[in-house]
Amino acid sequence: MKPRRVALGIRAQLLLVLTVFLAIPWLGYEYVRELERFLRDAQERTLAGTAQAVATALHDRPRLFEVKAAHDEALTTERRGDTVRAPPVPAVAPPPPAAPRSPEIEQIIQGLSRTTARIWVVDRDLNVLARAGTLKGVPATDTPDTALPRLWQWLEREILHPLYSLVLTQPTNEFTEEQAGRVLIPAREIDGALAGILTIERRPTPDGRAIIVSAAHPIWVGDQVRGVVIVEQTTNTVLAQRNRAFERLFSIVLAALLIGSLALTLYASRLVARIRRLRDEAEAAIDEHGRARGAVAASTAGDEIGDLSRSFSSALSRLAQYASYQQNMASRLSHELRTPVAVVKSSLENLQLSPLPGDARVYIERAQQGLDRLAHILTRMTEATRLEQSLGDAERERFDLAAVVAGCVEGYRLAYPGRTIRLEAPDGGIWIDGAPDLIAQMLDKLVANAHEFGLPGTPIVVRLRRVDTVIVVEVENDGPLLPDAMPGRLFDSMVSVRSDAGSSAPHLGLGLYIVRLIAEFHGGSASARNRADGRGVVVSVSLATP
Amino acid sequence: MSRRIAIVEDEPAIRANYADALKKQGYEVATYADRATALAAFRTRLPDLALIDIGLADDIDGGFALCRELRALSASLPIIFLSARDSDFDIVAGLRLGADDYLTKDVSLPHLTARIAALFRRSDLLSAPPAVEDTIERGPLRLDAKRLTAHWSGKRVDLTLTEFWMVHTLAKYPGHVKDRDSLMRDANIVVDDSTITSHIKRIRRKFLAQDPAFDCIATVYGMGYRWNPHEP
Repeated sequence: MKPRRVALGIRAQLLLVLTVFLAIPWLGYEYVRELERFLRDAQERTLAGTAQAVATALHDRPRLFEVKAAHDEALTTERRGDTVRAPPVPAVAPPPPAAPRSPEIEQIIQGLSRTTARIWVVDRDLNVLARAGTLKGVPATDTPDTALPRLWQWLEREILHPLYSLVLTQPTNEFTEEQAGRVLIPAREIDGALAGILTIERRPTPDGRAIIVSAAHPIWVGDQVRGVVIVEQTTNTVLAQRNRAFERLFSIVLAALLIGSLALTLYASRLVARIRRLRDEAEAAIDEHGRARGAVAASTAGDEIGDLSRSFSSALSRLAQYASYQQNMASRLSHELRTPVAVVKSSLENLQLSPLPGDARVYIERAQQGLDRLAHILTRMTEATRLEQSLGDAERERFDLAAVVAGCVEGYRLAYPGRTIRLEAPDGGIWIDGAPDLIAQMLDKLVANAHEFGLPGTPIVVRLRRVDTVIVVEVENDGPLLPDAMPGRLFDSMVSVRSDAGSSAPHLGLGLYIVRLIAEFHGGSASARNRADGRGVVVSVSLATP
Repeated sequence: MSRRIAIVEDEPAIRANYADALKKQGYEVATYADRATALAAFRTRLPDLALIDIGLADDIDGGFALCRELRALSASLPIIFLSARDSDFDIVAGLRLGADDYLTKDVSLPHLTARIAALFRRSDLLSAPPAVEDTIERGPLRLDAKRLTAHWSGKRVDLTLTEFWMVHTLAKYPGHVKDRDSLMRDANIVVDDSTITSHIKRIRRKFLAQDPAFDCIATVYGMGYRWNPHEP
């Protein structure tokens, strides 16, 4: 038993190869993350720049900070309460910020404030001197691109967005903002700024729904840090940009993959169809006996399958040429031999007409006999070819097969006097369309064959029977069984299973070939089998009835 | 004056053998190896009978062309094809070109000379009145064994020698089955069974062309052929 292999069609194989391209979305994801990092850096730098700009405006203006000193005492009590985080505020309407402590600073930074950033100015004790802006900018609403086809929009809305939201963190404005009090919670960036260094930190909002990036820049008065500018911003814009980039990329890749696999499937289908057609043609071109039945139409396509088709076609036509060469060999050979035979024959005949010594006549007689046999062989050799030619324009008529067979059997009884020939046929006529001459010729071959193979003294049975719509003509004889070696080739040209010992008549293996030709002319087939009792052979010809 | 026979044959041994045999019969023989020399000679002087091979060396259908040209020179000159080719196609083509007979090369020399003599007899006697003793009358069929001519209801049926002799054998004893061997013997030919079958077919077709109701030649399967009396 052959191990069963998994049969995977070319289409499935190509689609399997196509899965390699699924790596593209992953690559895209990596790329977008890189982009996100870059955007974050840019955001941090921008914030740092803003903080620096604000600080620059406040440098070396000690007056701004002196206002506060008077209130120091009061603030210490407030600080405790302020550091307690305020309850979440609704996103829609942030509460009005607490009253600024330093209207002048307030005025300065108001001009610098941006929509999505919050700016604080605190003094060394973390008292809030001024504040501007809010973390919650106007949410960026995606306006659907109307240029896109509706199907694509629907696809994006119904399938892709839910999918993306599984993979990507969506920016949201629904986070709790730390309620601004008078005093800031001490944080690392502020500590860093108080130490005189520009510090950037990122931290999550208290509810963890957004990340806030904050840059703190010291405000110098002389060589002393008098306060800190803090610029804060959520990463929402970066996130939104990253998401948009990712969505675009993913959508394009998805579309490309879809179109690609569709095109590939179509292409593979066409390929498969061509290969299948070629296979069917190749299978149909050779029948079960290995004979080339017809040629494969050579494809004109310039690719490898076209090449394959062409080489199939040429191989088959060579095979057909060889087969016809083999079949015509007998006829050609006899044709070639006929001229030298005629030379010998006419020479001998001329010799016979001349005066000859008595013993020379004997030899001439013998030479003549040998020549006659040779001529007989040559005639037999052309019989099949002649039959093939005459089949082409043989006329069909409606005739009684039973009468023809009965007449022939009568003739065989005269022709083979030492042999019992039994006819088994149903009563009444069997009318078929065909050529009675050819049927008679076919029976001649079958009975001659049976006579030569049959053991002396045993009968030959010619049987005629009807099986459904098929008429079967059988000729049966006792004798040696068929060899196992060539069951199908028995009916081919120049194939003989006889051992040549002890027979005088020439055996060219053309008799059963003629039988086959005539059977095929009548839309039937010829076959040979051993009789069930193992002591004889039955050659049967089935003929189609109209 | 002896009769002059032209042999056009590319194989020298066969040419010489046939020439010798015919000379022994008292004929004058001229031999030609190819179409051009033969035709040149025919233009100067026509032979009394021509024996032509179809394949003349490289000129595979040279005999056919020569026959056509010879027929154009003389409508009554007896022409016999003598060829190794024995397919129905060649036989039909040769006879259609106006040859009087078509023989394959396995014909024996006595058979060949018999045919040549018969053809000369036929051309000699065509003008003479029919000799009553040598005709066979079977209903509408009249066979003149001297002139080798056949008539059906008074109209000439153009048979070759082989065909005439076959009809003669069958019609001589109506109702008797003649097997293929006796047909071959009487027609002076040695061929295989299927050639006899195609000869019989051709004969039937020639009679059917004269009379669509012709059904006198019956096949007795397994045995041979029989002449049935014509029933109008």
